[in-house]
Amino acid sequence: MTLEGWVPTLGENLTLAQVIDLAFDYRGNVTIARTNGTETVGYVFNRNHDFPEPFIQIFDQAGNGPFKILYTEIANIKFTGKDTAAGKSWAAWVARKEREKAPQATSSGKQTA
Amino acid sequence: MSVPFSQMWTVASYVLRQKLAGRRRYPLVLMLEPLFRCNLACAGCGKIQYPPQILKKYLSVEACLKAVDECGAPVVSIPGGEPLMYPEIGQLVDELVKRKKYIYLCTNAILLKERLEQGAFRPSKYLSFSVHMDGLREEHDEAVCRDGVYDRAVDGIKEALRRGFRVTTNTTLFDGASPLRVREFFDEMINLGVEGMMVSPGYSYSKAPDQEHFLRRQKTTDLFSVILSNPKRGWKFNQSPLFLQFLMGKRDYECTPWGNPTFNIFGWQRPCYLLQEGYAESFQDLMENTRWENYGRRSGNEKCRDCMVHCGFEATAVDQTFSSWRGFKDTVVATVTGKL
Repeated sequence: MTLEGWVPTLGENLTLAQVIDLAFDYRGNVTIARTNGTETVGYVFNRNHDFPEPFIQIFDQAGNGPFKILYTEIANIKFTGKDTAAGKSWAAWVARKEREKAPQATSSGKQTA
Repeated sequence: MSVPFSQMWTVASYVLRQKLAGRRRYPLVLMLEPLFRCNLACAGCGKIQYPPQILKKYLSVEACLKAVDECGAPVVSIPGGEPLMYPEIGQLVDELVKRKKYIYLCTNAILLKERLEQGAFRPSKYLSFSVHMDGLREEHDEAVCRDGVYDRAVDGIKEALRRGFRVTTNTTLFDGASPLRVREFFDEMINLGVEGMMVSPGYSYSKAPDQEHFLRRQKTTDLFSVILSNPKRGWKFNQSPLFLQFLMGKRDYECTPWGNPTFNIFGWQRPCYLLQEGYAESFQDLMENTRWENYGRRSGNEKCRDCMVHCGFEATAVDQTFSSWRGFKDTVVATVTGKL
């Protein structure tokens, strides 16, 4: 399952801190909507909620950074970028290998499942 | 065992100095990741899934050396990403050699022959190419999800050996590995002339696409028992024999997550090479402000429950060697006799 494309609705059941944790765990760019009305697109590589003023750290879409953004400056985080960890590369690889092997096995007279 | 004496002596004297200084937590191997970019996309790897702007970034040599000096570990392992894609790898290695750090340059060896021909490296007792080999041709190409990689890696190994470099292999074993084939693979690597082999079970990275093939603890000890219980005389391992005995289920160790601290473009990774729960700005911050009690099997942390990977447990094994006469004796006996 991927969070790609998700725009969280913050409320009683979903806090900003929870969304920040999900963004930190997300392997794609996100769009950070700030309380001042601006937006920043980037990759969240760190978050620290143990500090008196909790913050996240990002590299922006151009790779500049790291930039620190305080939790108090964040209104919401949208999961707008491609989730680079999503996918089935192992399954795809195995399937392709199976397809490659199938004609060889048939031509050599072997039974295939 | 195949670790050269000078390296053993350096590590031994370093560990003894830490113990005499009363340091409970000390680093043994710095995992220095200068970049995340790789020319492979292995199904078992959780290291390279990042957006493009992150994959384009790499550490400067200065940043790498600052981390090396901060950390102070006698051994520096350079994984990644693929370090041979790091444009300043030659300069970085030169500087580390000047600092008398023992270097394991962890590579898939696809670019090894080319880099050697370009003269990027000079042979040194401090530099070892640690070539990623997950088995014989069929198993390796399957693990790295590309055909032909095994053959290129073998070409790279031969070329490095021909030019007088130290070469070791590092092997990650996954569920379904055939003990017989692994033993054949060890024979093959020793016949190639590598100095020694390193072996470890895989870790179930939450970001790796293949989640079904990682070994669970009991399976791990069963597999390694079969593979290593009757080691051939010619086999040489470039790692602690106590760690290998741990993999075989003969020893019960707890993780040493600070043993192999990791530095990359994000900073000092908390808590270890495998888990990514945040970043510290300095090595001191990592060591002093990480809640170490939350990690390791005894902590009850789910993510640590089945882990038996070398980056957490080899440091424990080495520490064990120098913590008691028995640990020392067991290490010496296994090293001399080759029996595990």
